[in-house]
Amino acid sequence: MLFYFLKIFMVFVFCFIAGCRNNPPELGLRLSLSADIRGFDPAHAVDVRSGKIMSLVYDNLVRFGDSTELVPEIASRWSLSLDGKKYEFTIRKGVFFHDGSPVTAHDVVRSFERVLDPKTLSPQRWMFTRIDGALEFMDGLSSFIAGLVVKNDSSLIISLSAPFSPFIQYLAMPSSAIINYRGVDSINEIPSGGGPWKLVKWERGGKIQFIRNENYWGEGPREPRLVFRIIPEAMTRSAEFEAGALDLLTIPSTEVQRWKKHPEHGKSVVYVEELNIWYIGLNCLVPPFDDVRVRKAMNLSLDREKHLRLLVPGGKLASGPVPPVLLKRHNVETLPYNPKKALRLLEECGYPDGLETELWVGGGSEMFHVIEAFQSDWSAIGINVKIVQSDWNVFKSAVRNGQPPMYYLNWTADYPDAENFLYPLFYSAESMTKRNRYANPLLDDIILQIQSLSYGTERTSLVQKANKILLDEVPWVFLWHKGNYNVTHSSVTGYRNKLVFNAERFLSLEKKNG
Amino acid sequence: MGKYVFNRVLQVLPVIAGVLIISFVLMVVLPGDPVLSMVGERYDENTVEIMRKKLNLDKPLMIRMGMFFENIIKGDLGNSFISGRPVVKEILEKLPNTFVLAVGAMVVAVLVGVFLGMVTSLFPGSWFDKTILVLALTGVSAPVFWTGLVFILLFGVYLGWLPPTGYGGIEHLVLPAFTLGLRSAAQITRLTRSAMLETLGQDYIRTAQSKGLPWWKILIKHALPNSMIPVLTVIGTDFGSYLSGAVLTESIFGWPGVGRLALGAIMSRDFPVVQGTVLFMAMMFICVNLIVDILYGVIDPRLRAERHN
Repeated sequence: MLFYFLKIFMVFVFCFIAGCRNNPPELGLRLSLSADIRGFDPAHAVDVRSGKIMSLVYDNLVRFGDSTELVPEIASRWSLSLDGKKYEFTIRKGVFFHDGSPVTAHDVVRSFERVLDPKTLSPQRWMFTRIDGALEFMDGLSSFIAGLVVKNDSSLIISLSAPFSPFIQYLAMPSSAIINYRGVDSINEIPSGGGPWKLVKWERGGKIQFIRNENYWGEGPREPRLVFRIIPEAMTRSAEFEAGALDLLTIPSTEVQRWKKHPEHGKSVVYVEELNIWYIGLNCLVPPFDDVRVRKAMNLSLDREKHLRLLVPGGKLASGPVPPVLLKRHNVETLPYNPKKALRLLEECGYPDGLETELWVGGGSEMFHVIEAFQSDWSAIGINVKIVQSDWNVFKSAVRNGQPPMYYLNWTADYPDAENFLYPLFYSAESMTKRNRYANPLLDDIILQIQSLSYGTERTSLVQKANKILLDEVPWVFLWHKGNYNVTHSSVTGYRNKLVFNAERFLSLEKKNG
Repeated sequence: MGKYVFNRVLQVLPVIAGVLIISFVLMVVLPGDPVLSMVGERYDENTVEIMRKKLNLDKPLMIRMGMFFENIIKGDLGNSFISGRPVVKEILEKLPNTFVLAVGAMVVAVLVGVFLGMVTSLFPGSWFDKTILVLALTGVSAPVFWTGLVFILLFGVYLGWLPPTGYGGIEHLVLPAFTLGLRSAAQITRLTRSAMLETLGQDYIRTAQSKGLPWWKILIKHALPNSMIPVLTVIGTDFGSYLSGAVLTESIFGWPGVGRLALGAIMSRDFPVVQGTVLFMAMMFICVNLIVDILYGVIDPRLRAERHN
């Protein structure tokens, strides 16, 4: 009787599994996201993930190229007046939104007005407040923005209230996308743009499917379809790739060595440089980190080179906040590992027996093992660091309120300009209200000059000067600029690295077997 | 029966109110700021204040709670802070996925658990019985994230029989349903076995055997139904919790269900979605338990008579 039951059970299991054989692969590119996007409304594009996805369905006046360069998009060309305040854009002809209506200069004006409109409640309006008349428009004192002038359908003038060199870069950011006003009511659900991909279906928390925009004005995608599946777990994403269900994978940092040695995919692993900085913010307003010597001791007592080599595959040591490619100097000396000097500095400023402090970490940090290595380095010179882990929201609130003595965080560039690593992070008004409470009037002056100067040697030398000041003042423990390792399936060709997050639109990727 | 169900529903109302008050207070007391999840990194203070006002976060706790309950009574759970969409829509969108996964897991649990429990009870002390008991213990002890990853690697990557993750067809359901249902299956196996052992020793079973009834009839018609009361309790509790969302299983298998929705909402302090999912979860749990209570009566005539009296 026992075997009778066993037979029934085995037949049941066999039928169940045999009936569920894996389906043939879907057509087109199959990619993954670690979490869902917030929506398709450019005015609310505040996170990297949503920005990346929006760049597929919207065009901008200009776009970031593979590296730090800007390339024309809706604007076929542009010029800047000698006083650095007036941009004149020529709008490309023959560009259409997904519904077939043409893109004109009026659409550009409406798109920018919408971000500034108080009714939109866009957290991104800071991007356009430098336009002449923007503040009056926001305050309801004017029904139009004086600095946005349409000469005709294909010519637009944007006047700034003062010279501001990063403005042109702002125009390539997700929130500067040109929207089709006819679809604005449902824009968060259904993108209303004219980009190279069209949304087919967004299953929230599940997948986002796109098809190629066959009427795209430029060189469109090679593949007819693109699907992003939302897979929160890094290990599951790796398994999906290995099972052949994903075409591209961003390798979790703890798995890089395994993938490099992978017999089938090892050769396809590529390092992708990114514009970011990983750091430990030190609260400069309260003891012990109000003393620059203690901040220096924190930097000198970390063996960053060793940790980078052993724990952070592919990173580059940071010499200040600005990445070398934007600093335009690759041989800047980094702070050395010198625990003896760190100990001396601690003694000098009244901490001969070391000190106790806290390091705050937000979310489920993938780099937790790195933080523990730091803890060990610091304890060697008597600095006992307690790690405080909290969820991302609590962490962010705490940093904003200036609560953590130290916090571990990273910053990814919105646009490839050194100014993006200086103003939002170290300008006194920003740092004192949102970050680690660092204020330096001299640095503020330099940052303001960098903002107003046009790109050139004078501006570059000011950037280098600002970076040097920060390296001397060490308001952070500067860690590294960390790239990612990506792997593509052998059937996928045409993968090109992009330096800025929203430059990747998956146009050149092609699969051999469709 | 009607009066019994009505009384039970009445008892449920204060429970739901209590759950909502506690979850509301907990969310408000928790540190963090929902607006910070919405504004990115380069916000200006003015925008933050306007948003806070728009979301009524500037109002005192009691007023917010009053507004919340007033809306609930009107049947309005509000809009998500993050997506701006109605909470009901957000939950209803995820509900079919959660329901499919919960039913799939329960089917696995009941089929495997009852079958193995029944068979092992027929051969107590045999090698088969011992093996299944060890496996059942392993099943109860194994963490879901571990089982899930092992299944993904084994059946999705190495054998390639099933898609490792995703959702859609039945082939996508197998692995998450087994992962989620295995724990209940193990528990049901153990409970069915012990209940069946007790039942099989009863006089009426001996009577049935002496009447010359076929063994399968004795098992299915007489022994099994009388052993199902404790099993039904486990089914009820587990099914209720599956319907409330299985966060770990949903995360590992990329399954877009209510559990992940709730987790995301808690992380971003999306109060309306948290409240909505808590309300939904409480109601699911209560409904399933009510159904189980009614089923007790269906299975056991003694209980039916007791309730009637």
